[in-house]
Amino acid sequence: MAGNQNPISAIDMLTSALRSNIIPNQEYLLQGSVIDSSAEVLHNRLRGLCDAAETGPETFHDHEMCFSLKASSPGGTPQQQQSFLLRVRRALDHPEYPWQLRYLGQPELGEKNQPTVLRSCIDIACTPNVVEFLSELGCRIEFEYVLKGYLFRKGRMKVTMSKIFRMGQAKSPDSLEAMTGSYLVELSLLAPSGQDAVADEIKVFAEQLRPLVHLEKIDYRRLQSYS
Amino acid sequence: MGVIVLQLFAVPEGKSGPQVIDILTKRVTSLGGVLSGSFMVDCETYTSVASLGATRSVHLLHNSETPASVFALLEAASGNKTVALVADNLFDLLMLKLSNFYQAKKQTKIESRGPRFEAGDFLVKLGSVTMGPTFKGILVEVEYQACSLPAACWDLIREFMQGFLGGCVPSTPPQYIQNRFGDMLGPIDGINQYLEQFNAFRKTTGIR
Repeated sequence: MAGNQNPISAIDMLTSALRSNIIPNQEYLLQGSVIDSSAEVLHNRLRGLCDAAETGPETFHDHEMCFSLKASSPGGTPQQQQSFLLRVRRALDHPEYPWQLRYLGQPELGEKNQPTVLRSCIDIACTPNVVEFLSELGCRIEFEYVLKGYLFRKGRMKVTMSKIFRMGQAKSPDSLEAMTGSYLVELSLLAPSGQDAVADEIKVFAEQLRPLVHLEKIDYRRLQSYS
Repeated sequence: MGVIVLQLFAVPEGKSGPQVIDILTKRVTSLGGVLSGSFMVDCETYTSVASLGATRSVHLLHNSETPASVFALLEAASGNKTVALVADNLFDLLMLKLSNFYQAKKQTKIESRGPRFEAGDFLVKLGSVTMGPTFKGILVEVEYQACSLPAACWDLIREFMQGFLGGCVPSTPPQYIQNRFGDMLGPIDGINQYLEQFNAFRKTTGIR
């Protein structure tokens, strides 16, 4: 940019990127789970199906915090308050990596024949003072957890197999307590909006894993009403 | 990344902004400066809506020198603390999503843009500051790229700056640099100085 004769303002650049649909801000997602005792079988299957079969998957050990920003409308009930969720993730095994700030929109399940959940998603790498930034912005921490697992890639698709741990009071990695006896399996793909054909690609891949794990469109609103 | 010093250059009576830029361009060129493109630093300020409680401001700055980054400087509700977040440029998109909570102050978008010169280890940027369509003044940025420690290179920077800006460059470093005289400086320190100057421009009517 330094050599550019006429620098374009960042907002103009963003507007034209949005207009030409090149920002990968849509996430196509399927989720499922596999019990600990069967995890190894799925791991081996994924290793065979995904890229870089010889070197094996990447491992990750992340801490995720979910923040909410709420505006109180006078006289409004808590349900009427607007709420905005933001997630912060950091790699515990790579403290030198940038922290990740993530916005996730409402998941859309769509029609029955829509193969995956679709949600808008903005991933932003940032400096580690993001927690202080969000607190001063007016956000409050809602919950936090630790994820530990494997990341596989198949072309543009990303498959993660991870165990969720409750964050202990001491907040040290030794005080981790597994939340369930199973692994969360997520199959996702980030793409610019309007590329719905990739959803079929995901569905086909999910079918290949079907004997071992059922990857489905999870309706969170339904889950919330059960709890 | 070196030490950046930002200096206000008062526009002399009877001269226009472009005329001053022309004069400074000649001086920088005669010091061995070679024109190398142009630059831009811009700033947009967002303030929190009333329903969010105490008022906070987020200043969003971009610098063409670091085009993949956004600098978000948040003035805390307490008023005596600023948190400077450096993020990928999709942060702009997030700010748009936050429009129910933080709204851009109208007519306060301010930017400094102009020619950029390389002179050995120095980088010189002659910026015309405009707020909306209004010309507000001239900011000269000088960066000494070979060193990040002001204590080790301030004298050299001062001498170089006085060479083409003359008496407007004081012999003591600006307050911002003085407060960090023994620290290693980076891109955020340039941005902080721009914000200080932009805020001063916003408070002034007319040309500084």
